Amino acid sequence: MTNKSNNGFNTWQKSFEKETKKNFSDAKSETDEGIDIKPVYTRDDLENFSFVENNSLPGQWPYTRGPKASMYTNRPWTIRQYAGFSTAEESNEFYKKNLESGQKGLSVAFDLPTHRGYDSDDDLVMGDVGKAGVAIDTVEDMKILFNNIPLDQMSVSMTMNGAVLPVLASFIVAGEEQGVDKSLLSGTIQNDILKEFMVRNTYIYPPEPSMKIVADIIEFTSKEMPKFNSISISGYHMQEAGADNVLELAYTLADGMEYVRAAMSKGLDVDDFAPRLSFFFAIGTDFFMEIAKLRAARTLWAKIMKNFGAKNERSLILRTHCQTSGVSLTEKDPYNNIIRTSYEALSAILGGTQSLHTNSFDEAIALPTDESARIARNTQLILQNETGVTKTVDPLAGSYFVENLTEELSKKAWDIISEIEELGGMTKAVKAGIPKLKIEESATKKQAKVDSGSRVVVGVNKYKNPKEPSVDVRVIDNNRVRDDQIKKIQAIKKSRDTKAVEKALTNLTNAAKDETNLLIPCIEAIKLRATVGEVSKALEQVYGRHFAKSLSVSGVYGKHFEGDEEFMKVESKIKEFENLNGRRPRVLVVKMGQDGHDRGAKIVATSFADMGFDVDMGPLFQSPKDVAKDAIENDVHAIGVSTLAAGHKTLVPELMKGLKEIDPKSKIIVFVGGIIPEQDYEFLYENNVSAIFGPGSNIIESAEKVIDLISDNLSKE
Amino acid sequence: MELVDKIIKGERAAIAKAITLVESSKDTDQQISRQLISELIKKPGKSIRVGFSGPPGVGKSTFIESFGSYLVSQNYKLGILAIDPSSQITGGSILGDKTRMVEISKNPNTFIRSTPSRGTLGGISMGTREASIILDAAGYDFIFIETVGVGQSEIVASNLVDIFTLIVGPGSGDELQGIKKGITEYADIFIVNKNDGELKMEASKTAADYKSALSYYKKLDALEKQVLLVSAIEQTGMEDVIKTINQIIDQNKLKGIFDERRADQLEYWIEEEVKNIIASDITKRLTSKGNIPKYSEKVMKNEMSMYEAVETITKDTLKQ
Repeated sequence: MTNKSNNGFNTWQKSFEKETKKNFSDAKSETDEGIDIKPVYTRDDLENFSFVENNSLPGQWPYTRGPKASMYTNRPWTIRQYAGFSTAEESNEFYKKNLESGQKGLSVAFDLPTHRGYDSDDDLVMGDVGKAGVAIDTVEDMKILFNNIPLDQMSVSMTMNGAVLPVLASFIVAGEEQGVDKSLLSGTIQNDILKEFMVRNTYIYPPEPSMKIVADIIEFTSKEMPKFNSISISGYHMQEAGADNVLELAYTLADGMEYVRAAMSKGLDVDDFAPRLSFFFAIGTDFFMEIAKLRAARTLWAKIMKNFGAKNERSLILRTHCQTSGVSLTEKDPYNNIIRTSYEALSAILGGTQSLHTNSFDEAIALPTDESARIARNTQLILQNETGVTKTVDPLAGSYFVENLTEELSKKAWDIISEIEELGGMTKAVKAGIPKLKIEESATKKQAKVDSGSRVVVGVNKYKNPKEPSVDVRVIDNNRVRDDQIKKIQAIKKSRDTKAVEKALTNLTNAAKDETNLLIPCIEAIKLRATVGEVSKALEQVYGRHFAKSLSVSGVYGKHFEGDEEFMKVESKIKEFENLNGRRPRVLVVKMGQDGHDRGAKIVATSFADMGFDVDMGPLFQSPKDVAKDAIENDVHAIGVSTLAAGHKTLVPELMKGLKEIDPKSKIIVFVGGIIPEQDYEFLYENNVSAIFGPGSNIIESAEKVIDLISDNLSKE
Repeated sequence: MELVDKIIKGERAAIAKAITLVESSKDTDQQISRQLISELIKKPGKSIRVGFSGPPGVGKSTFIESFGSYLVSQNYKLGILAIDPSSQITGGSILGDKTRMVEISKNPNTFIRSTPSRGTLGGISMGTREASIILDAAGYDFIFIETVGVGQSEIVASNLVDIFTLIVGPGSGDELQGIKKGITEYADIFIVNKNDGELKMEASKTAADYKSALSYYKKLDALEKQVLLVSAIEQTGMEDVIKTINQIIDQNKLKGIFDERRADQLEYWIEEEVKNIIASDITKRLTSKGNIPKYSEKVMKNEMSMYEAVETITKDTLKQ
């Protein structure tokens, strides 16, 4: 590794070893990705590259240095803040305010019922309407959402994957009724279903028909909507679910390859659609790694697309949106999140992103307020206007360390991509559940590092704030939103031509039986005021609804705690409990409602099991009533509810009611974990919740609390 | 017992608590559990107990979801005892079976209980037999016992049920050579799952392989072993499964095999219980007398042979 002929280096090494009292060869630190970081890099580390080319230029092969020659020197990145909540009316107001304050593009967050293809009046989605995004039931909602926002001038990004057909159709029809032809619409639809099966779980149909829908949209937009990105291939949610950067990079690009193949199988030429493929990555706190990831992504994608036979240069170029990491935000000492987000934003910029969302500091607690959203936006405005980072393209090029890291990441990701190709591509890998399991393993390792203190999180496991600040949060009254939406649906159903709608829906069902591009009959149905739920059901008749199998890792968490005192203390408490009660403490870990973010639930399940609990896992998307039945039949001691989508105020009381309905004397205790604003704590405690664990809670401490609560509860008998 | 009445009324929480009692390793719980089972056994229901086993990955839970949905739609009441194999040696277990039983777990006419296998022989946990007695008394028409198929489990599980079903995947026909006589003897029905999509051809071929291989094992008196093709995902073949189960049960009842089996199982159960009691008694005596360390020291010192030590200890232990 070292250059022996270089006397200067030898002298440096001696000094280093003297200062640190360590051998140079031992002075490496291993990253989550399994890359050894050396304490110093030299010119020698730029040699023997197989991916990075040392003398390349921005906007040129292999595009490591950026998709464009001029990058931010000509035009800075787009400040694109993801937002949406409650009704279309309220989101529209919020968007207009943001645009006046310097935001350049829109990015729409839809609520979970819309994602999963349910109308707001569906009983299944009671707790979720308008919570984690805006509720869209018909094209009328979409029109209100963009009221006074000219769609021929504003680029609109839509995070939509499951109900992608009715939502894109509504967007097209809303544009049309605003007087804007679809060929003039610009923006992006996420349309990345593979990662939904891996991590985010807001799918509707099984993998194969879902892939067909993706291909339909790529086909339609490539022909009819030249300014619109047909897909945003997303690694973001993988990192959020706990993937390290190599996994995020490899799986995202492998997903991209699968979409390219799906589109080509429709007879499209690769250059017809590839220039409109876009990407979306997460930017976490590992500063240089994130920069290297974006550079590596462009390098690898150029190579991949060349292998697909792309001739147009624009097909080779990876363009990406980035968002700062949501999981890096902490509930404890929340103002630290402003600082974290700032560094992450700088990483994204030095890595050369095309657009960026910076999280608001209160997002570990609730939806952003006007004030926190302003700070988040200003983080980017300050970078653009005050720091000078826009004046030089790819300023870290030539850095021994960053170039080497770019190469290392590329190599590792390429190995994983090759493995997946050997398996037969990402659809097959996803069906077998392999990527999901790898990501969960990585997530569990990361959590164990934080809980064991080997990774410091300021304000959480070290340098704790003795006086936790209290933060004002945005409160959504989802019952009011739901009532408003139901009224709107009822009014539309009364005024529309019901026969015509039924005919359009039948046409859609029939179209799903053959190879017709489904977006066309979908637009027809939406124009006639069919609802998002009706359109989704029309397709469900042919495709069915997908239920994911759930696999779990085990032993990964416990391995990090061999010999750990706290861990052993919980273990022995559990053994004591077993001796006393004739069985282990048994806990049911559930998600309720339409919230599919199951990283937290999975980590709790696997780590609790490693400590000795018997853990029942419920299926996703359960209603509180189903959970109660499950809990009672298995005679669990406790139910752990994981909530990230703000539905807890409706769902938890329903669960309590459900338990009492089956067993009036039920002594099952309920604890809640996830994103819960402090303001809701009292409400939950009043509803007999025994404990609440916010983001960043130490799992071992939580487990100890749970076993103590269970023991106390039993001793009261 | 109050609990007995509640179970017979079908109260969900009571059934669940009773199963906890029979699974408990606590002495006092065991005593209550014996009383309870003695009472319940006097009030038998009409349940048919069906065992499902098969190697991991063949889609057992998905099949049960699909088949169970069919039965429930025919107004049957269904109890499911799932022995979850995902136990770890040291830690607890993750019981994830229910994540694959989304629809039936919601249905009011089902009762689904997962139990960690805890590494017991054949994946059958302590209390599975008793749990099926509880569900029988509670009025469930069918009781499914789901186990993972590894080694001995089929034989142990088949001792708990009226009809035993092995679920296999397409392509497993090649392994038939290796299938021991045991399995084919104990299983009544072979279900080849995943008869769908790309695997359809392979599934048919596998079923044919099984049929020809099984013809060698035809037992006198018993109905011919049945091989069925199903797709749990597409929910096809479910009518055949219930039809075949009912057919075999009817035939077996007619020929007396049904009662004979239950009598054999009762014998096996009594024998097991007696052995358990003797074994734990002997273990207690062994430890209290401290003969093993004493005599092994003598063997180490060449004062007596190993077999002499064994004989002496045995005699001393059995002496009242």
